[in-house]
Amino acid sequence: MEDPSIDKVAISGPALASMIQRFSTSQGSVDGLIFGHVSHIAPTLTDDSPNSTSSATLIATITGFFCSGSTHSFYNSSGRVDPVLLRRLVLAQAQAQSPSAHLLGWFSGRRKTHLRPSLREFSVSNALSSNPNLTFPIQNPPEGPSNPSLVPSLFLLFASPITDQTIHTHEYRAYHFRASKHSFEPKSIQIVNIGPAFRAQYENFSPNSPFPNLPFELRVSPMIVDRGEDNLDQLRQVNKDQSELDMCSEGLEVGSLSRLMGSEAANYATGVEDLYEKMLVKIESLTTLVEKSSAKVLEQENLNRKLRYKAARSAALE
Amino acid sequence: MSPETAPPLIAAQLNYLLSHFPLVVKIENKWSGSKYYPGILDRFTLVISYCLDVIKWDIIFDAESPMAAPDVIFGPDDENFQQFLVLRGEEEGDTKSPKKILNDWNSRDPTQLMLLIQELRDQYMSFQKKRVAEVDDDRLKFEISTIVAREGIEMHMSSGVDKRSQRRSNFQCLYWDTNINKMVPGCPWKHKQKIYLQVIYPVEKKYVSTPSAPRLKLVSTTELKSIFSIDDVKLPTWLNGMCMAEYLPHLEESLENQFGRPLEADPVFCRKATFLAASGVFTFLVHVLISTQFPKQQPELMLQSSQHFNSQGAPIKSLFLTESPWSPRWEIPLMAERICDYLTDEALNFKRYCNEPQLQH
Repeated sequence: MEDPSIDKVAISGPALASMIQRFSTSQGSVDGLIFGHVSHIAPTLTDDSPNSTSSATLIATITGFFCSGSTHSFYNSSGRVDPVLLRRLVLAQAQAQSPSAHLLGWFSGRRKTHLRPSLREFSVSNALSSNPNLTFPIQNPPEGPSNPSLVPSLFLLFASPITDQTIHTHEYRAYHFRASKHSFEPKSIQIVNIGPAFRAQYENFSPNSPFPNLPFELRVSPMIVDRGEDNLDQLRQVNKDQSELDMCSEGLEVGSLSRLMGSEAANYATGVEDLYEKMLVKIESLTTLVEKSSAKVLEQENLNRKLRYKAARSAALE
Repeated sequence: MSPETAPPLIAAQLNYLLSHFPLVVKIENKWSGSKYYPGILDRFTLVISYCLDVIKWDIIFDAESPMAAPDVIFGPDDENFQQFLVLRGEEEGDTKSPKKILNDWNSRDPTQLMLLIQELRDQYMSFQKKRVAEVDDDRLKFEISTIVAREGIEMHMSSGVDKRSQRRSNFQCLYWDTNINKMVPGCPWKHKQKIYLQVIYPVEKKYVSTPSAPRLKLVSTTELKSIFSIDDVKLPTWLNGMCMAEYLPHLEESLENQFGRPLEADPVFCRKATFLAASGVFTFLVHVLISTQFPKQQPELMLQSSQHFNSQGAPIKSLFLTESPWSPRWEIPLMAERICDYLTDEALNFKRYCNEPQLQH
């Protein structure tokens, strides 16, 4: 099978920070899946640098990830991938990830170890990249007869230095597992931020937001009350929009969004302020929810750890 | 839990490995990867002897789940070894393969880690052999084909760039499987005592008219060093156009001469030993008697000819030789050396004595 080489791995700063955060707050080693897309980027034409005759590049962009919070989430101790567990994880993530995202690969984080793939990590990457059911296409592929598909072959490794250091606390490295060569190729990670250096990225940006479409004309006026059927449809639509809006703000009615448009846009500032305020309220209530559930999870985890130690000790005594 | 300990299940695995591994293995470094209990050790660097050098592998357990199988991180240069292992694991349904051991990890069986390391080291040996076999060098291919049947050969490929920026691969090879333990019955050594021959074939760019002689070096196991100085052994010269299969018999012979041939030894108190020795064509026995005052007092020696007999048909013996030069303050190799020098002289005297017409009693 053809095995195109990925040239670069791109990830947004917040996404990388969030992965590191998950790793550093976990009890032990962690693993998880990486989602995103691989796109073909034509060379940027820059007039002032004559030597930049770089050919087109294949960039893997990580748009999301799932952290299992532990290890062996979809493979066993010898690195054999369990297809059922993997499918379950990928399906569970289908909702959370953007529709254009594919399973790009996986990551592993382990404290105080050398930043080199281990035997198990090699086996898992080898198994993932040789699974024919997981192939996905390249976005905007180069023109040509063949359109090579890709396999989940990305591997991100996180580690922390073996001896404690004050400033340097985490290390990471990206690898592309080449199925044809059965080996890891280290790849540079490009942290994508907004700026002129990332012009090429904009070309491939597809907005993706759960925010509902703003209904331009929304009048539940008394004049159209009797037009039953249509009205019911409209109401249903309003309800749907309302529930989508409730995902991002709290206590804001869809109707009030009309203030941001049309004739009422004069009150634009108050409208936006109102929207942001309600969004903040939503975030706050989510935070409390997360806080409470985290406390419960921590409590349970502590209990589990104690039980595990107990079990391990009694097993050793036997 | 007390600070700086490994969880009991992991400790049991390590202890078994350290006490039962047939070769030299050490723990160079141990540390904790645990966030909450920094005193619980679950990461270890093992130093395993290989091809007269060592390989260092990190064994990564998880203090959070001590019953789970460990993971292994190999050395920075051994990336291809993982590839070798995984590909080989796919084609073989071997019950002993590392993959199988990891798959069926049973934390209650303390032998598991040792079996894993042993199997991984065996695979590493095959991996290096494969790498050496891939070197495109006629002489090397020939040498390997002629000696490959010998036991105990370990190979290692090392690449380096020498001063003239000429790429050079060194291929190391170990020969010689003389088991000294057999020569000294009842010896207390845990590991087999051996003398190794290290051979380094420099492989330079092709089209060199005559391949350069391999670099040869004798190495002995550490415990053997205390009684026998390997540096004093003069290697037979390597003749141009020679090959290892021709060279080895010479070397083996000269080494055996160095040692004499122990015939008998008292394995319990270690006070008596008898060696077969030769001075030219004159073959004789040396009886060594070690007194309870040893090493304050030198051992007593007695020579016995195997070719001369007295009128009663009994072999001719020398008197007890108690006058050999000696100082209890000498280093052990010096003691042995002085005894050997002394014996060399005495052997000539004894031979002369044997050749004299025997006086009738």
